[in-house]
Amino acid sequence: MSETLNRGVGSKAGTSRGLRDPLTVVVGSGGVGKTTLAASLGVVAALEGERVLVMTFDPSLRLKDALGVGEEARESEVAVALPESAPGELDVSLLDARRTFDRLVERYAPDAESRRRILENRFYQHLSGSLSGILEYMAVERLFEVAAQERYDRVILDTPPTTQALDFLEAPQRITEFLDSRALKIAVREWFDSRGQLRAARRLGRLGRRMERFLDELIGLDFLRDVSEFFRAFGPLYDGFHSRAAEVQKLLRSPRTSFLLVAGPGEERVPDALFFARKLEESGHRLASVVVNRVHPRLDSSGGKGELPWGPGSGEGHELMRWLGQRDHQGVESLRALLSQHPLVALPMMADEPTHLGALEVLGRDLISELTQE
Amino acid sequence: MSTTSSPSVQQPSGSGESLLQSLSRRRFLVVTGKGGVGKSAVAASLATLFARGGADSLRGRRRKVLIVEIDPRENVHQLLAAPPSGGDVVRIDDRLFVQNLKPRAALDQLVRRHLAMGLLQRRVLSSETYQQLSEGAPGLKEVAVLDYAEHRTRERGEDGLGPFDLVILDAPATGHGVSLLAAPLLLSEVIQDGPVGRRARELASFISRPEALGIVAVTLAEELPAQEVLELFETIRQRLGRRADALVINGLYPRLPEAWEEDPEAQVAAGDAAALAWIRRRRINQREVARLEASWNGPQALLPLLPLARGPELIKELQQGLAEAFGECCEATAAEAMDSEATEVGEER
Repeated sequence: MSETLNRGVGSKAGTSRGLRDPLTVVVGSGGVGKTTLAASLGVVAALEGERVLVMTFDPSLRLKDALGVGEEARESEVAVALPESAPGELDVSLLDARRTFDRLVERYAPDAESRRRILENRFYQHLSGSLSGILEYMAVERLFEVAAQERYDRVILDTPPTTQALDFLEAPQRITEFLDSRALKIAVREWFDSRGQLRAARRLGRLGRRMERFLDELIGLDFLRDVSEFFRAFGPLYDGFHSRAAEVQKLLRSPRTSFLLVAGPGEERVPDALFFARKLEESGHRLASVVVNRVHPRLDSSGGKGELPWGPGSGEGHELMRWLGQRDHQGVESLRALLSQHPLVALPMMADEPTHLGALEVLGRDLISELTQE
Repeated sequence: MSTTSSPSVQQPSGSGESLLQSLSRRRFLVVTGKGGVGKSAVAASLATLFARGGADSLRGRRRKVLIVEIDPRENVHQLLAAPPSGGDVVRIDDRLFVQNLKPRAALDQLVRRHLAMGLLQRRVLSSETYQQLSEGAPGLKEVAVLDYAEHRTRERGEDGLGPFDLVILDAPATGHGVSLLAAPLLLSEVIQDGPVGRRARELASFISRPEALGIVAVTLAEELPAQEVLELFETIRQRLGRRADALVINGLYPRLPEAWEEDPEAQVAAGDAAALAWIRRRRINQREVARLEASWNGPQALLPLLPLARGPELIKELQQGLAEAFGECCEATAAEAMDSEATEVGEER
């Protein structure tokens, strides 16, 4: 199965220099510009003749405009209109935990009745949108779907912004553990009898009634009832989840998958980037390169004191820009020293977020040329 | 900038007090915004202002303040040059305290405080099943955090500290801050009876009362954070039936020299990347400030990006900026400073 997966993504890949691996996973803290970089890499690969999919989570309106895709990309992959002469194809899909979960249920539920029971379940409705890690897990499910389709030469996967750096990588493991857990085995049992009372509680008599009341007061018996129903309705789907999670874990550790770590500029962001790099390494994933994004240009401090190289009224701006340039330079140097075994690229602060494909292409080419030089 | 953004015409009660005074009298402030916008710095600055009575408009009135941070990676202590909390309340001075709160610990306290605990209950609580279920129970952990914070404004904590006059919650960076504020409503729909359900209802009503709980939103004048804060305002309005108290637009690049007015990029040497970066970031700032102002006419503070590392010196500067924007003109200079930055952003647009 994992061979199919590996063939699925990237059977014809390898044309874009600097992006050797058919699956690129872009990771990093929120707000560092991951999504834009992922999109720009996708644009370049497609212009070079590959069939490319960029999977992303929460692009800015501007980026959606630049790519020419809208909300419809939440439902399925949407083709980006490339220049007519472009030899490749670029699709974009926006990951949405709820939609992906619904699709899974629709696809794998054994019959219409169980499908309805799951989709209408209150616990499911809360769970599918709010459980921590669910978005990451759904990204994995979506990746599996895509890989199995064998439609693309290259997939570039943007990851959701999280405080817990690598939730995304841990999601398959976590879901597998959850499915194997005692908690679930207990949950799948029929907790409630036909009169809607907790079975265990009834057997336990007075003690049981006290426990029932305690649980009711804490999380509500109605809620527990929903949970129990949900897990029983969900039962037939477990095996599939299990094996898919294992497959995707293999794919993420395969030698054909590489991780691109995007870091924010400045010394203060260094610990974040180190944390990601260390986690990737520990968990057996391959960090291909580090990109320090939005680095302020360095200003040399030539010119005597009291002189303003930018003329009257520029004092405050000059001081700030010099400070930012220095701060970001130090950040890059620290990371370079600390992550010396990985190629590191510093990308300058852009004029603005790209507003059209051309700007994404320029950014992507810059990045790829830097990556190849390193 | 339009005149409506001046804090002096946005009195919440019309009692003639400044927004700063009004905020200082709440029991609870929630500071919310996307990660990386300086939320913790704003929370720490407000807390310091209120604890030290550091603005003229506060007239030296000092409050006992606890900052509660919800983030696995501690942040606030560094801004105040304090040791990390590790989960406990750390005393910074007589009136200023900081805590990095683990939601799980808050949940345990909620259970201890509101439910009768026998041996059986303790066993239920330590079971894996309960741990898993409580992760999935909609809004339970968020309610526990709010419960904890609100409780600390009323009573002495298990650590013997408090009660605090004011708790400032530095809301989690992930998701929209509103999921925290909407949690009590959500949970009270699920749990009809019992002390936890009652408590959720109580907190929901507490959150709907601006005189008890203040909401301060923080953003950068950049596209994604600005977009997110606008969505937050809309959700607060729809789901909580109220509005945020103030908007802080943080990290603004300084104004460009007057001589550059016409065509800034023509004024600097080609290839002067730093000058170009300044011009362009400033332009983005202006565009996004305009977008924010088109949808938000409440009080706002515009805070500069400063050449200072995260620490007490930065907090001192931000305090001053906040005091000027939200403290009513006890001294003319504060109002003038506000006006001049206001005119400037407006004119450059």
